[in-house]
Amino acid sequence: MGEKVFLQGNVALAESAIRAGCKYFFGYPITPSSEVPEYYARKAQEEGLVFVQGETEVACFNMIAGTAATGKRVMTATAGPGFSLGQEAMSYMAAAGLPAVVVEVMRPGPADGEILASQGDYFQAVKGGGHGDYNTLVLAPCSVQEMCELIQDCFELAEKYRNPVILLSDALLAKMRENVELPGRKEQNCDLSWALTGCAGRKHNVMTTCGDGAAQWEKFNLDLQEKFAKIKANEERWENYQTEDADIILVAYGSMARVAMGAMKLAREAGLKVGLVRPISLWPFPVKAFEGLGDKTFLVTELSAGQMVEDVKLTVPHKENVYFYGRLGGFVPSPKEIFEQIKKLGVK
Amino acid sequence: MAYNFKEVMNRPDRLASGHRMCAGCGAPIAVRAVLKAIKPEDHAVICSATCCLEVSTCMYPYTSWKDSFIHSAFENAGATICGVEAAHRSLAAQGKAPQNYKFLAFGGDGGTYDIGFQSLSGAMERNQDMVYVCYDNGAYMNTGIQRSSATPKYADTTTSATGKASAGKQQNRKDLTEIIAAHHVPYAAQTTFIGNLKDLYEKAEKAIYTPGAAFLNVMAPCPRGWRYETEDIMEICKMAVETCYWPLYEVENDVWKINYEPKNKRPIEDFLKTQGRFKHLFKKGNEELIAEIQRDVDARWELLLKKAK
Repeated sequence: MGEKVFLQGNVALAESAIRAGCKYFFGYPITPSSEVPEYYARKAQEEGLVFVQGETEVACFNMIAGTAATGKRVMTATAGPGFSLGQEAMSYMAAAGLPAVVVEVMRPGPADGEILASQGDYFQAVKGGGHGDYNTLVLAPCSVQEMCELIQDCFELAEKYRNPVILLSDALLAKMRENVELPGRKEQNCDLSWALTGCAGRKHNVMTTCGDGAAQWEKFNLDLQEKFAKIKANEERWENYQTEDADIILVAYGSMARVAMGAMKLAREAGLKVGLVRPISLWPFPVKAFEGLGDKTFLVTELSAGQMVEDVKLTVPHKENVYFYGRLGGFVPSPKEIFEQIKKLGVK
Repeated sequence: MAYNFKEVMNRPDRLASGHRMCAGCGAPIAVRAVLKAIKPEDHAVICSATCCLEVSTCMYPYTSWKDSFIHSAFENAGATICGVEAAHRSLAAQGKAPQNYKFLAFGGDGGTYDIGFQSLSGAMERNQDMVYVCYDNGAYMNTGIQRSSATPKYADTTTSATGKASAGKQQNRKDLTEIIAAHHVPYAAQTTFIGNLKDLYEKAEKAIYTPGAAFLNVMAPCPRGWRYETEDIMEICKMAVETCYWPLYEVENDVWKINYEPKNKRPIEDFLKTQGRFKHLFKKGNEELIAEIQRDVDARWELLLKKAK
């Protein structure tokens, strides 16, 4: 680990990506993610990085596809509306097996909405916003520190599976300033024999995004599915807090997990047995986190109308024991607000 | 009818005061002046994509717009207003809507030169009966002063920073008015705030009342991004025109006309020195950069003179 510094989420993320050897950044201004391209633009001069501001997010997502095809670490950062525009390219990158990293800083939608904190883009990130049968790994940090660590993991995971990876941030994490210990440099160390680097002295490499007939394209899709199954089996991430003796278990990710943690403390102080499951990988959804918790009551809290709650219901044996509380439009509930919801559920 | 400043300015405003644009911002001046050119008895539908103007005039449930207003995502103003115009054309033909509606879209340079360029080009090529007004302040001011393709060469922005390795934006400014003229639309023009706003008003009137697609490119300074005192806006506009950095011209049915030719073209420094975004150009050793801007302005002006003759 490196030195301790007090940094804004977006800035810490950008610096950590640079330390992970991500020398290529393509971006387009959009609140609340603009400090990431601004940081890269400044650093590009000092550290010999490549920064290009595209004319749209459509351009930027296709630019990262182009760089990823050469095997270089590359990233873009955007917010919900820009992420929407990038979905066509996400589908292409998933098909072609391109290891690009996309940072999505969520803000409340639909449409222009607001520029405050939100988790309303869970569906789009986790279920695949683009066309066709594909999945992208999605990691959701809950602190500036964790964001710095996960962004470095994103590059490794993207290369390990040759698949785009999304880091799902939100306006709160992006704009919040916290003490962070910046991770040391984690340089690229993977097989790049597939990359398009000029084929002098070797057979040319092929990546494809289209099929020739149903049989060939079904086979292509089945191969992709095999890869996704492997990711599902190996890459679940989560953290459980005091779940063993709990009667009620909160489920929350990202910024909302911080609030849930506070609510859990309030409940414990009041003598209620409350725990927390914090998914870190949203795809694959951490099914293993719920093993042995089958008969508990769950309260899923999100900054949305209820999106992750569907995955929780699919995971636990008794979906009638899954409750939901969410805030919309940019509101972030207080720990006390969640505590009141816990009390309403009653403890057996 | 000859332009009468007092009469025009005494018409009721179609953009109400109380909006949250900055003091010294060019955008609301452009909008108010353009809307004054709509006859009081005519109606308008205004579309604006996400931009400073939109977020500052539509603080829902409040609005500054007295006409019908429709907002769309950043890249779509050209398309959205075309959808409204097409629907109106059909309804009016069926006798289900009054004829006297005008259709206008407003966008900043980011939403017009860059991300909205595709939908703007489509609208112009289809020659739908609408006016697209770009208030060009030369960067993405709404998201924090990032460079756009309208940012002039060597201007300092948050994504074309000035430092040891580079002096602001390294690329040329796109010439959008000329690109729209190349769509062979009935009317395309470039203007800014000069004197009593006669040039802006007359061009707006022509654009609005010419059947088919029309385009107005209004240079609209931004005190935050350009770094000037709010009261200097008119002087900056004057210098933009007097140096031929931003010539006043129009293209009507493919006929190019320059509306103002300065008798004594001022050196480009007179424009650059009014703004903090060019401050670094006046440091010792950067004389060649200013000379380069001068050569570029001269070359563009000569080309324009040829087109207009």
